[in-house]
Amino acid sequence: MKIDNKPEGVRARRSNQMTNLLNDDVRSQVSEAFTELREPVQILFFGSKEQCEYCDDTLKLVEEIASLSDKLSVQTFDMEADPEVAENYNVSLTPGLVIAAESDDGPVDYGVRYAGIPSGHEFSSLIQDLLLVSGRDSGLNEQTREFLANLKEPVYLQVFVTPT
Amino acid sequence: MVLAHQMAMESDMVQAEMVEATEFPDLSNQYHIMGVPDTVINHGKAKMVGAVPEGQLLAEIMKVTKN
Repeated sequence: MKIDNKPEGVRARRSNQMTNLLNDDVRSQVSEAFTELREPVQILFFGSKEQCEYCDDTLKLVEEIASLSDKLSVQTFDMEADPEVAENYNVSLTPGLVIAAESDDGPVDYGVRYAGIPSGHEFSSLIQDLLLVSGRDSGLNEQTREFLANLKEPVYLQVFVTPT
Repeated sequence: MVLAHQMAMESDMVQAEMVEATEFPDLSNQYHIMGVPDTVINHGKAKMVGAVPEGQLLAEIMKVTKN
């Protein structure tokens, strides 16, 4: 699946708070992709009032995305007001996102995180992540699954990306 | 580039964070990020520049873990 999100769509900030970040084309492409959503997914947003240039836009972006499907919801947290939640999810950078499976007992953490606004390329990654978590299956091959299932120590992956 | 996230989904021992490099210059400098994507494993124990296929990322994780 490939979603062509024009980065300028996300950059059209500050000009008018009322306009959508996603244009109609992108909204319809994402809605189309979301017909494949299966189980509910919760996006946990972590923001901060201190020096967070992209917090407002990131929250707006995930709220717009979540509005396209009733299987998606957003829960917002603040680093200063909810430090124990942030620590629980190992989130230290803002804006921070956790893509969690939603269950009757609350969100189930799969260890899927974003630091910074998922625009440009990362926008498609976010949509793919939502679909994967919704399907509750990583889609990895058998050898990989077997190795990861037997891991005895924590593995922390950080993938550095840029918007374009 | 969701491979790291797929791995996180597969095991409670794995966490994967996608970091927008330009928003966090200190962190990017700490790991000497010159090009993207760049995958950093266990705080710098291993580092792989460019898009990596599943088998290659797995091999690198195998190298830095004791399994």
